[in-house]
Amino acid sequence: MDALNNLMYGFGIALEPINIAYVFAGVFAGTIIGMLPGLGPISALALMIPITFAMEPSSGLILMAGVYYGAIFGGSTSSILLNAPGVAGTVATSFDGYPMAKKGMAGKALAIAAYASFIGGTVSVVFLMLVAPLLSKVAVSFGPPEYFALMVLGLTAVVSLSDKSLVKGLIAAVVGIMISIVGIDLQTGTERYTFGSIQLLDGIDFLVVALGIFALAEVFYMLLRGGGGKEAPRNAIGSLKLSRSEVKEIAGPISRSSVLGFFTGVLPGAGATIGSFLGYSMEKRLAKDGDTFGQGNIKGVAAPESANNAACTGSFVPLLTLGVPGSGTTAVLLGALLVMGVNPGPMMLEQRPDVFWGVIASMYIGNIFLLVLNLPLIPLIAKILDMPKPLLLSLILIFCMIGVYGMSFSVFDLLLLLGFGLLGLGMRLFGFPAAPLILALILGNIMEESMRRALQISGGDWSIFIDKPISLALLVLAVLSLGLPLLKKRRKRAV
Amino acid sequence: MTRLNTNQWLALVLALVAGGYLAMAWQIPTFPLPRPIDSDLFPKVLGFTLLLLAVCLFFETPSAAGAEEAEEEPATSPLFSPWGRVIVTAVAVAAYALLLVPAGFVLASTLLGAGLTAFYGYRRHVINLVTVLGVVLALYLTMTRVMDVYLPTGVLPF
Repeated sequence: MDALNNLMYGFGIALEPINIAYVFAGVFAGTIIGMLPGLGPISALALMIPITFAMEPSSGLILMAGVYYGAIFGGSTSSILLNAPGVAGTVATSFDGYPMAKKGMAGKALAIAAYASFIGGTVSVVFLMLVAPLLSKVAVSFGPPEYFALMVLGLTAVVSLSDKSLVKGLIAAVVGIMISIVGIDLQTGTERYTFGSIQLLDGIDFLVVALGIFALAEVFYMLLRGGGGKEAPRNAIGSLKLSRSEVKEIAGPISRSSVLGFFTGVLPGAGATIGSFLGYSMEKRLAKDGDTFGQGNIKGVAAPESANNAACTGSFVPLLTLGVPGSGTTAVLLGALLVMGVNPGPMMLEQRPDVFWGVIASMYIGNIFLLVLNLPLIPLIAKILDMPKPLLLSLILIFCMIGVYGMSFSVFDLLLLLGFGLLGLGMRLFGFPAAPLILALILGNIMEESMRRALQISGGDWSIFIDKPISLALLVLAVLSLGLPLLKKRRKRAV
Repeated sequence: MTRLNTNQWLALVLALVAGGYLAMAWQIPTFPLPRPIDSDLFPKVLGFTLLLLAVCLFFETPSAAGAEEAEEEPATSPLFSPWGRVIVTAVAVAAYALLLVPAGFVLASTLLGAGLTAFYGYRRHVINLVTVLGVVLALYLTMTRVMDVYLPTGVLPF
């Protein structure tokens, strides 16, 4: 009952006309910024800090929460239409979203993304409200061994999706981790695999690899498959409406992935990326038509989209209740809060209930705006695919370039982008999946750091990973996630 | 001597990469103080894992869809063949990277976009130029004026 009363109090704040205007402006600006490759939620939020500086803290945070949601949804749009995920959390959406767009179902893919984001966000706000204090305790109990095991599970779950060859999936994952450790080792200050280049000291940015492996490789691949101006014009948008059977089909994946995404988001460091990948792999396993994932299955869009939005909300749990940012994005939010004079943490609920409950209530409203704003815009956005193919290919190239250069201002990164584009083309031609490489690249550093911290705690004793029950359980799940598909394959062969 | 299949060729290349990677891992300086795990351990584990996976790949039968071939189409010259188009695009992207700062974002991007569009076979040159220039200018103004992201101006005054 307390939660309900508090929520009503929060709505009282969020429904003030000025705050409604802020939610609307935030969602709108976030969606536009998120669509531009290279400008994800972190950039969007960072851009908002000077604007929110002088605002009432509750209004400032309400505006920023709207920007955060909007940017994640905007990222899905470029994933679906251009196969150019500007944000790590929307990579999994491109696996089925882009094939759907190529089949002329871009409108449907974007509509599913909007509905799934809405439901994922709303479900997780309910969870946030009810179980935030309890969950924050669980999240704190995760030490380095548990994090390492969680990262291993996240990786194996994605590798196990490699239908054609598990070995090639594992190779892609290993290469991804290899790329992630290029640069200065933050624990010892030692240079690793920089080849004496100053530009590599900071490592290789996710965006350079993601745009190269996905977007640039896609351009090369289309050129290789005869991508001149000869393709007949197509109906790129298709219908936005979902049939009753389609709604039924995605209802399960959305509800399951929303819950999974929320719990993943609560864990610091896990966030929207692992949430979306785990949601995708879980649904692929559970679906009867799991073998059609990657070819434009609607469940393959619904699951990661609901999971990533739910994880975004989940990541507010450690931020608001512990003052610990669980991701780069919430770290920026923490900075913004401190600038506004609010100290998030266990005392925040008592000291600033207006900020805490106002933000939770504004998340409900933000989700509604996300849907109301984005659905009518879909036909307009999806027009991109009606463009003649040669023009579209060239514009994707320019988008990739501006995305990379605008982030790092480095010509060297543009050349790296080209290198990764060619690597992506090679991987595609020889049947190596790209998803494990990207996820491994994102997780590689955290994985190594967790492993080394755990071993430092245990004095170099590797048994720490199996002595801790949570870590052991996660590692067993990781082994099972690799072993079960192998057994399935063997059985199929035997039959 | 039996001919190697695609997977076996790939496995050999990967084994070479793993060998080079491991050789470099051994050159990573270790920390003077004794510690349970140093900067070189993780790369060594990765190098050996890649080597092991290369061995597994060597003995794996390639699937039918393992290596996709490019669609052959009657091309007038090697430059306009599918592989020709990929190579020209790669060279154009490299040239763009090198010209971006001296020529400026607007000029370099318009040249790249309009030039490649025409090269890919789009013949409506005015529409091509107007669209590419419009998109490039919109991106440029959004980034520089709204987001405060610096992009090189090059030879143009703005």
